[in-house]
Formats: sequence, structure tokens, C-alpha cells
Amino acid sequence: MKSRLGSVLLSLLMSTSVIAGEYDLTVDRVEIDTGDFVKEGIGYNGASPGPVMRFKEGETVKINVTNNLDEMTSIHWHGLILPFNQDGVPGISFPGIKPGETFTYEFPIQQAGTYWFHSHSGFQEPDGAYGAIVIEPEGREPFRYDREFVVQLTDKHPHSGDRIMRNLKMMPDYYNREQQTVGEFFSDASKNGLMNTVRDRMAWGDMRMMKADVEDLQGFTGLINGKGPDQNWTGLFEPGERIRLRFINSSAMTYFDIRIPGLDMTVVQADGNNVQPVSVDEFRIGVAETYDVIVRPKDEQAYTIFAESMGRSGYARATLAPEEGMEAAVPQLREAARLTMADMGGMPGMDHGSMAGMDHGNMDMDSSEDMSGMDHSSMEGTDQSNMGGMDHSNMEAMDHSGMSGMDHGSMTMGKEDKSDPFYAKGSGLMPKAANGGKFLSYADLKAQDPLYEDREPTREIELRLTGNMERYTWSINGVKYEDADPIRLKYGERVRFKFVNETMMTHPMHLHGMWSILDVGAGQWNPIKHTINVNPGTTVYMETEVDEPGQWAFHCHLSYHAAAGMFRKVIIEGGPDSTQAKTDVIAEDGGEA
Amino acid sequence: MTISKFLVAAAAISLSATAFAAGTHGGGHGHGAASGEPGKASEVSRTITVEMYDNYYEPESITVSPGETVRFMVENKGNLVHEFNIGTPEMHEGHQEEMMMMVEHGVIQGGKLNHDMMEMDMGNGQSMKHDDPNSVLLEPGQSQEVIWKFSDNSNIEFACNVPGHYQAGMYGDVKVQ
Repeated sequence: MKSRLGSVLLSLLMSTSVIAGEYDLTVDRVEIDTGDFVKEGIGYNGASPGPVMRFKEGETVKINVTNNLDEMTSIHWHGLILPFNQDGVPGISFPGIKPGETFTYEFPIQQAGTYWFHSHSGFQEPDGAYGAIVIEPEGREPFRYDREFVVQLTDKHPHSGDRIMRNLKMMPDYYNREQQTVGEFFSDASKNGLMNTVRDRMAWGDMRMMKADVEDLQGFTGLINGKGPDQNWTGLFEPGERIRLRFINSSAMTYFDIRIPGLDMTVVQADGNNVQPVSVDEFRIGVAETYDVIVRPKDEQAYTIFAESMGRSGYARATLAPEEGMEAAVPQLREAARLTMADMGGMPGMDHGSMAGMDHGNMDMDSSEDMSGMDHSSMEGTDQSNMGGMDHSNMEAMDHSGMSGMDHGSMTMGKEDKSDPFYAKGSGLMPKAANGGKFLSYADLKAQDPLYEDREPTREIELRLTGNMERYTWSINGVKYEDADPIRLKYGERVRFKFVNETMMTHPMHLHGMWSILDVGAGQWNPIKHTINVNPGTTVYMETEVDEPGQWAFHCHLSYHAAAGMFRKVIIEGGPDSTQAKTDVIAEDGGEA
Repeated sequence: MTISKFLVAAAAISLSATAFAAGTHGGGHGHGAASGEPGKASEVSRTITVEMYDNYYEPESITVSPGETVRFMVENKGNLVHEFNIGTPEMHEGHQEEMMMMVEHGVIQGGKLNHDMMEMDMGNGQSMKHDDPNSVLLEPGQSQEVIWKFSDNSNIEFACNVPGHYQAGMYGDVKVQ
């Protein structure tokens, strides 16, 4: 099926494989200074973030990880295709790394691009245990650049991960500063009518959700490469150079909308895989995703890299400049996003009957849209060629003489249509570029050179993303991890996963060990990713070629959602060798998220 | 320069009329004067083979003499549609808007060109044909020649203006000396 498989098998069978690179990492208690506050955290080789690990495609790496903490630790190589016992998830891949112990990872590098690594134990990752991975390809890349920078984002919170989880469990809105106030109720009531406002609030109350729940963890300082906005990480360039920026979102909970005022960004990779280049003014990076973009600043001036959180409660900022110390204006945060009724389109048990009687004109929705809000059929089957909204097959039959009489306002030609099919229609989260230009959509992502042949999936597995915000429980199909049976897949099959987001939060779903082929409606050009965003009120499909034996983690990458139970173990049945038996010896030791 | 005619037609039927209609391409291929002009086969001094991959050229730089006529044998060895277009960076930038429109209308679909769409009469006898003498637009596996007589303008690039490709680095320098 694919050539990569051969090399994995080969390296599993041959213990004599050539070691090309050996690396040492220590896991340490470190001090983290964001400019806003200083806290103790966890880092690698004495710092958070840890070093940029640079590998070469085709080499076998050996990484000695020494645990200097007084608790268990682990390192997961996020997005890397490797034998499952090197994947670094305690309780699934291996028992974990004990205090004082050195664990040696060894695996072949079978891919290229931008990835990252982080602890998979407890809340060590939000506490600072993360770093970047850059893998140089064997051949030349389908794009050119003169210099490159890793731009690694995080949402550093003054509280420790353990404390945040305790507070969220006790009071799910503990960190939500954007709650609607009584005053807002009366202003809505005077604007929209008292009964509509009451109905609106009751509907939201039924869901144990609040409109402002875009981010359930606020109060963080956005960091880029470990630097807060005032510390202003700066990358230097010569005007006219082409610069590759490797964006990595290592946040615990925060999505960022990223732009560089004055520069077009050409997206060339998503989650480490080359995509057909697409130029944008702004893009949203989900938790755990990576995007590589190329920019070409031609002028002798500074440019601000501005990363605004999706809920607009905070931002990260860095600078590209010809000289150290130069800086450009830092934009203001835009108005906070508010979820709309469309974002709860996926909620079961909602009384749609009574909602139909509501005055839709008063809601934050496209007034032309029906309450059902989203049209799943248009989402899964979107034919990219027709994205412009025109049906070309019928055009030939059109009477051209009459064209001037058509209502072209509905034709959505050119850049006029800003609606993203991966958001519920009328969603309060629908992204818009700050300059009115192009905002990247998943629908724009097409594989540059597809890894897999397109084929019919062997079966479909539905995963409803579920939760109860009032108790801060997060689950899949209503069952949290500790109560759930593993998902069993068969080696060699191609599974189609159907994610149905029944919550009002966005979930970045991460399957370890195997690629997630995101269905953007482009058939053989569908891109492969390791993390798939599922927005509120939407259904998203991905397919997976089950081509790695063993057992793997599959979870929402929001740290506190994974810990609360939106997590599954995936067991691959069958396979080319006896890996199955080996999985039984892994002790249920250490953390799991 | 049928693309620019199409543009005017398209602009007339779209709400974004002003964004495109007054572009730099209104003057037919008068812009050719800046980068040179279509060459005569009888004046060709040499042949340069240019291979197009995803998304780069080989070679990425060529050297010509002022007034030299060159035959380019352009081959698409990639899996996507690519263009070979001789012009100034400004001309390429203008052409990229036209190419964006071709993608949005399904004329360019990954590795395929929709020739029916290109031929289609958009009204007033105009179409989205891509037939300028300074460029070729090729599907994977296709090859075609371009004969071009260079001027003494040294600010010339050969470039692929399929959306995103130029920005990703799919262009080459023409050194005139």
C-alpha cells in the first residue's frame, strides 16, 4: 500500500539499523517568565520551550530522555509515524519514565516537515514540557525559502495545570471572564424583545453552556518561542528574502488567529505535510496543529506577527525585522466572539419545535438561513471546483444573452464569499480576516502529493463529541475514557470516522500513530493531518488507513478535555508480526493524558 | 489576450466589477514590449529545455543576450497544472488575479484543465482561453514550445501564476547580459 510501511517493518525486524543521530533531553523543573508573571514549570534541557529537535528524513534517531523530576514523565512525538512502543503515552505505549530514570527512544524518521513533542503525563505539557521538531526532507521541497524560523505558540497561565483542572471541575466557568451580564440581558431585551431574550437564555441554560464559552480557560499570556508580548521574540531578515515560518500551536486550550499585517502568507504545509500552496491574509491554528507559511517582506521595516486568541481574551505577538529592536504597531484585539444558536445546531434533545417559532432575525445568524443552521450535505461533498457557487455544468445551457439580468449578488464570485463550510452557518466563530481578505479554510487544504491512493472506506465509525459543561465532563459518545471500551480497528482496513460535535466547544481531535485523511471534498487530493478541528454544531469526516500495528491514543488535544475523558484507546487487531502480544505487558502506570 | 477580455466580461457580471476591470491588462499584450516579443522560428539561436515540477522549475535561472530569440521546450513533469510565463514581476502579479479566477471557475482543477470551460463563450464572443504568446499552461505530461525574443529589460522572470505557485517560489530569473 505504501512504501513507508516497509521501512517500519524493516527497522522493527532489524535491530542492527544504522543510528544516524543521537540526542539527549533532560526533563527539568524550570522558571518561566512571561513578562506578565514568573512561575515554576517544566521544561527540557533547562528551558521551556525545549530545544528545536532537527532530524533528517531517512535516519534512525536515538533520544535519551532523563527524568530529573520527582514524578513520572513521558515524551510523545506529536505527528511522527513510528512504532507504537516509541509513541510515549503512559499506559498505552509504555509504562512511562520514572524519576531519575533515563529512557531511550529509538525510531526511524520516515517523514519530513514541522512537528512538535510534549509530555503525555498529567499536566506537564501545559506546565511547559514541549518543544519543536523540524525534519529535513530527503529530496527538495516543493517551495523555496532563504531562511526559516520556528514560531511556537502557547497559552501560559499563572496557575498550574493541576490547579486549573481542580477549579474547572469545581466551577466550570471559573476562568470565563466574558460571561453575559444582567445588564446585557436587559439591553438584549430592549433590542430583541423580552420573550425572545428569555427564550434565548433558556435555550443556552438547557445546554449548560454560556454564549461566551468560546474559551473555557482565560487569563493566559500568549507566548511565542517562550516570549510574552512585551518580550517580543524577533526574527531577523534581509528585505526581499523568502522566509519560512513554522507555526506550531502548543497551547493547552487556545486557538489563535494569526496574521502579519502588511504581508501575504502562503501556506505550504499543514501538520507537517505539503499542501498545494494557498496565499492567505490570516489563518486559525487549532491546538496541536502546525502550519508552515512563506512570507516575503520586501521593505526595510518591521512586521508584527499577531496571534489573537479565537475568543479574543488574549494574544501572542512577535516581530520580523531587518534589525534587532525594530518593531511595528501591535493591533488591538478585535471584539470577543460570541457563540450563536447555530453553534448549538448539533445538540440533541433541543426543542427545535419551539425554536422554529423564534424570530430568527433577532439572532446572530444569517437571517436567510433556516434554524437547522448547517447543511451537512454541502459540507461533506463540497466539490472544490464549484466552490465559487456556480454550477458550471449548467452554464453551457445558459442563455448568455440573459446573463446581465441575473442576480449576481448570489453568485458569490471571486473573493466575495467568506463563508467557511467547516463552520455551522451563522456560527459566532466564523473567521474573518482583519483586513477583509482571505482567511484560510480547511476547504483550501489539498495534498501536494497524496500519500495514499483514494479508495472506498471499509466502514464508518461515528464518534459523537459530547460533554456536560456544568460538571466539566467531556466524553465521546457520552462515555468518558475510564468507562469506555477501546476502539478496535483491523490492520489493513480504511476507516471513515464521522465526528459529530454535540458540544459548543471546538475540539482538536488527535489520532496517534496513523494519518488522519481530512475529507475536504477533494477526493484523492484530501490532505493528511494529525489533528482535526471539529467546530461546534458541525460534522467532520476523516479517513484512516490502518497501517500501523499496536495500540494508540485518540483524544481531544485540549488538555483539560482530554483529562476529563474525551479520550480513547485504539487497538489495532492483526498486523504483520506479533506486536499484539507485546501490548499486554504495558503496565497501567503514570498519567494517560 | 482573451483572458483580459474575459475578465472584463466577468467583472461586468459580478459585483466586484471595479476590482478587476481597470487592471493593467486592458491594453492587450502591449505589455509584451517590456519583456520582449514573440520570436520567429527562423531567428532562434538556441533551445532551452525547462522542466516544470511541483512546484518549481529546472533550471531556476537562465542567461540570455539582449535581443536574443530562444526556443523554450517546456515540459510539465509534475502532477499539477503549471504555467511557464515570461514577464516582469508586475506582469506576473497582474496575471495571478486572472489565474485565480480560472481556478475559481473550475478551469484549473489540480492536475486537470477544463478545456470546455476555456472554450466556452462567456458572452460577446469572449472566453477564458489561455493563449498569450509569452506563456503556456500545461497539464501533467504535456509539453509545448515558446519562442521568445528578449528585449534588454533585465527585470524578467519566468513564472507559474497558478494560485500560490509563484508565492511558493515557482519562478526563475532571466539574466540579460
